[in-house]
Amino acid sequence: MRGADYVVKRTAFALVTIFVAVSINFVLFRLAPGSAVSNLSRVPHATQELRQALKRQFGLDKSRGRQYLIYLEQLTRGNLGVSFENEQPVSTNLKTAILNTLPMVALGTLFAIVVGTLTGVIAAWRRGTPIEGATVTTALGFYSMPTHWLGLMLVILFTGILPTGGMTNDFLINPSFWTHARDVLSHMVLPSLTLGLVLFGEYTLIVRSAMLETLGEDYILTARAKGLRPWAIIRKHALRNAMLPIVTLVALSLGYIVAGAILIETVFSWPGVGRAVYDAVLNRDYPMLQGAFLFLTISVVFFNLVADLLYYKLDPRIT
Amino acid sequence: MTALLQVEDLHVWFDLQDGGELHAVQGVSVGVERGERLGLVGESGCGKTTTVLALMGLLPPSASASGRVLLEGTDVLAGGEASMRPHRWSDVAIVFQGAMNALNPVRTIGSQIVEAIELHGEAGGKAARAQTGELLESVGIPAARASRFPHELSGGMRQRAAIAMALSCHPKVLIADEPTTALDVMVQAQILELLDSLCRDFGLALILVTHDLPVVAQLCDHGAVMYAGEIVERGLVDTLYHAPRHPYTRLLFAATPDLGHETEEIVSIPGAPPRLDQPLVGCPFRPRCDSAFEPCATSRPLLRRVADRHAAACHLNDRPSQAPG
Repeated sequence: MRGADYVVKRTAFALVTIFVAVSINFVLFRLAPGSAVSNLSRVPHATQELRQALKRQFGLDKSRGRQYLIYLEQLTRGNLGVSFENEQPVSTNLKTAILNTLPMVALGTLFAIVVGTLTGVIAAWRRGTPIEGATVTTALGFYSMPTHWLGLMLVILFTGILPTGGMTNDFLINPSFWTHARDVLSHMVLPSLTLGLVLFGEYTLIVRSAMLETLGEDYILTARAKGLRPWAIIRKHALRNAMLPIVTLVALSLGYIVAGAILIETVFSWPGVGRAVYDAVLNRDYPMLQGAFLFLTISVVFFNLVADLLYYKLDPRIT
Repeated sequence: MTALLQVEDLHVWFDLQDGGELHAVQGVSVGVERGERLGLVGESGCGKTTTVLALMGLLPPSASASGRVLLEGTDVLAGGEASMRPHRWSDVAIVFQGAMNALNPVRTIGSQIVEAIELHGEAGGKAARAQTGELLESVGIPAARASRFPHELSGGMRQRAAIAMALSCHPKVLIADEPTTALDVMVQAQILELLDSLCRDFGLALILVTHDLPVVAQLCDHGAVMYAGEIVERGLVDTLYHAPRHPYTRLLFAATPDLGHETEEIVSIPGAPPRLDQPLVGCPFRPRCDSAFEPCATSRPLLRRVADRHAAACHLNDRPSQAPG
């Protein structure tokens, strides 16, 4: 059967990709100059014995191959090591960060997909009119803005109106669920908007060019000749064909965004994955960084897989 | 009696990037009666496809048109999209060139035919699907193939499906724009035969747009030869072949390769058609004509009746002693 075969093949490919990435990830950190131990033992009166003890404690006295096997084995049990920074398991830290990042990114992306698709379609349909000109100029403007600059501008613009940093108001003591939800949501507006605006620019341009290409196809002329109304043509004939390139690009960008809204989370002090990566780099928190990289890898590969499967669903020509 | 479909003094201009205009169709008047088959012939870029797109109101936004398109006496173009849309497919249907992309690749052929049937209120739901099956059978495609996607069919099958779709709302006029281009000769012959029998069975008027003269000879009773955006000669296909009154028609027939005479060299008409983004002075065909004389350089010949059901636009016809052909 066409379907099952494809899904199995794509999933297997994704798993192999993750395995390879994990291995490279492991090697990468072993190749980094200096060792975790030399960094940790940089204390007055550090003795050779202390270094040896630390090495043993972190398992660094074993051979590289052995370390790799142990790493893989622990990975399958969900053990990502312990953070140097707060001595909590990396998986716990990462989970908190991911749960903080996801809603913020989801809100921004949803905004970008809905608004970007709509404006992209309108720009393509109204080709050559001022509407198209205005849309494309706006989209290009937001697309080319540096994310952190746009974030800072929004901070300046909305100071006093919306919270501009953090995820919660620390002065709320024991808030009820709804108060808490409203608090988080109001903190989420600006970082989500920043992400949403930048992505909106990108998506509008992608959707517009994909639509333009599709609208030039013969079957669109056939649909018009059949007597279909403009919106019916877009809905029933153009959009699904135009979705093919859009799905790929949106899914690809999602993979990176989920793991790497570093600039936005730094500007708005949002305690998510991006912020965790930033802090881990500053603090030389290798296990945390390695864990974050693993998550980045998995999210990119996962969304690639989603794109492949969606593509398959949308395009009957793929076998 | 009013004609079934009558195009009167159709002009089409395309806006060019540099601000100029391209006068693609320059005063075409043409019509078909019930059951009549008209072949619209001419080389690439002469405006034949633009003419049929204009008469269905399907020109791109960069084009502007003037003239009248009378469908059973009513001007359907005057009211823009809104007045044309109800007539599309239910009165005038079209089969486009290159069946490759005329069907939406991500939808089954059945759903695309059902869509047309339901849109024009011919039938709905189950009845529409049943009708689709019958239509497919009538063009030689098993009804079960309705659930197939275009890429799962061969080129000839796709063209058959496109024809079935064109017939789905019982149009009075069927326009076929290069229906056999990109098909191999055997399939081409089958498609022509199919068109022939369908037109006879359904009493359709056919407008066949092609650059392929033998196809016109095989399928059509009337012919209109287009050159540089206008019709230069119009008449019965037999007359056009045996007694052309315009040098272009004569040269066009002479340039058709004949399989019977293998040794014969392939003849072509030297030169290229005139540019249509500049005003034309004199006869547009003059630079390539083998029998041009004084008036051709300065005055443009008009399409005039030269015999019963036969018209041509050539100054030679004004000099009875030297009729061309």
